[in-house]
Amino acid sequence: MLGMDVLTGALIYSNLLVLLAVGLTLAYITTAVPNFAQGSFAVVGSYTALTVYRLFHLHPYVSLPLAFFAGGLVGLASYMLVLKPLIKRGANIVTLMIATLALDLILLGLRGIYAGYLGKITGSPCEMFMFTYLDFQILGLPAILVVSTLVIVITFSVLFTLLYKTKFGVALRASMENPDLAEIMGVNVEYTRMFAWFLSGALAAMAGCLLPFKQEIVPSTAEIIIVSIFAASIVGGLNNIYGALIGGYIVGLSESLVTYWLSTVIGAGVLVYGKVIALTMIIVTLLVAPQGIISIEWRKIKKIKRWCS
Amino acid sequence: MEEVLKVENVNAGYGKLHILFDVNAKIYDNQITTIVGPNGSGKSTFLKTIFGLSTIYSGKITYYGKEVTNTPPHEKTKLGIAYLPQTDNVFVNLSVEENLRIAGYTLSNEETNERIKIALKVFPELKKHLKRKAGHLSGGERQFLAIATALVRKSKLLMLDEPTAQLSPKFAETIFSKIIELKKEFGLTILLVEQNIKRALEISDRAYMLIGGKVVYEGSSEDLLSHEKFEKYCLGIGVEV
Repeated sequence: MLGMDVLTGALIYSNLLVLLAVGLTLAYITTAVPNFAQGSFAVVGSYTALTVYRLFHLHPYVSLPLAFFAGGLVGLASYMLVLKPLIKRGANIVTLMIATLALDLILLGLRGIYAGYLGKITGSPCEMFMFTYLDFQILGLPAILVVSTLVIVITFSVLFTLLYKTKFGVALRASMENPDLAEIMGVNVEYTRMFAWFLSGALAAMAGCLLPFKQEIVPSTAEIIIVSIFAASIVGGLNNIYGALIGGYIVGLSESLVTYWLSTVIGAGVLVYGKVIALTMIIVTLLVAPQGIISIEWRKIKKIKRWCS
Repeated sequence: MEEVLKVENVNAGYGKLHILFDVNAKIYDNQITTIVGPNGSGKSTFLKTIFGLSTIYSGKITYYGKEVTNTPPHEKTKLGIAYLPQTDNVFVNLSVEENLRIAGYTLSNEETNERIKIALKVFPELKKHLKRKAGHLSGGERQFLAIATALVRKSKLLMLDEPTAQLSPKFAETIFSKIIELKKEFGLTILLVEQNIKRALEISDRAYMLIGGKVVYEGSSEDLLSHEKFEKYCLGIGVEV
């Protein structure tokens, strides 16, 4: 039988995956860059929370706003210093993808240096850490479940209000759909791209700030989690922000619950290979619905079903 | 007659693809000027070059006496220059109302509301579709919306690239009458590239003929229309470049 712990763990993981996937999708829609450094942006948030906790003894939840800005700045800097110059030179998607892979490795190196430095000044190793021992209960539920769900609700409410109720948001949607026409209408498309990359980094870092409550942060965390982030974006639909929301939950819940179920059937050894679920979902989606679940015309499928019966 | 736009010895293209060669042109206030020429003569590139969407290798473009050769498109919009591309000229995933709102991006909210009211007076057909996605409109209605966005933008110079392409004759004629209305009622200066050359020249004051990226005719549209070799000229036959 499925335990409550497994279910809450799956929900927490899905919440964090949604935040990470929304950021990846935002950057892809606005600049057509498949960002392989998105996992590293998340770990910026993890280290922000760790730094604040070790130096000032403030609970990691308090660091969420700081992580938001730290991740946002890293996202913005990545765009301005690496990707924008490449896009200006007419770089194709493969070049941009390789650039983000290089960026990810640079951030991995910088992370290692920073972890060593932080460990030295705090007198405690920082290469691997978790925050699970710091969590508490709210109304009988793990605080991380409540906090991550609240972050999702607030993020999507703000995002919806921004995109549909403000002038800048409509401009952002216009720039996503047709940047040339948006420019013709007087929108400074460059600003919308900068904003998208800031937001992409910021959302990832917020997820990263909460990630150590769910799993241990190790030097290769970013490179492991990127598989699930891409799976969430691709399954939902890489061209739609709401696709990332749907994809995040589908991949997050499947990855956690299917792996758990397999472990009860085959044995605990299978838990190490959880990412196989995410990778399988990427392949199936690309074969069946390359534009993601959001692009499937369910009405047509219903009609065909009715017609067949 | 006030000179709105002056194009001097402009050479332009896309990257290494050179399309316009030493082009000179003058566009006057409250006139309709039509650019004619056979396919591939550089008509659309001419509009894109003025708006800053192609690469200018040399030459100068001035707007009301101010140099705008390298001014980015969004800045040109602020100056009152509007350009409507032949295709993809509305945001299909935005509602009609949002399309009109985004057109007023550089204006204040009050001004945008005022301009939308004016645009809807000229295009009352759009009123009933305000909440619909632009992608659900017919081809003609989309073209109305595209021109309406130019009205919201408070444009002084409106550049239209084949606004009647793929429209039924009825819708095409409505577009032509709207263009005349924009000139007469709103004092707009209009630069037009149109496949229906005869009808376009009939409503125009001046015309330029481009062949092989070079200006081969400049003068009144009436003279070009009544020229004995008009038909051949339109096909690019018998013209020395």
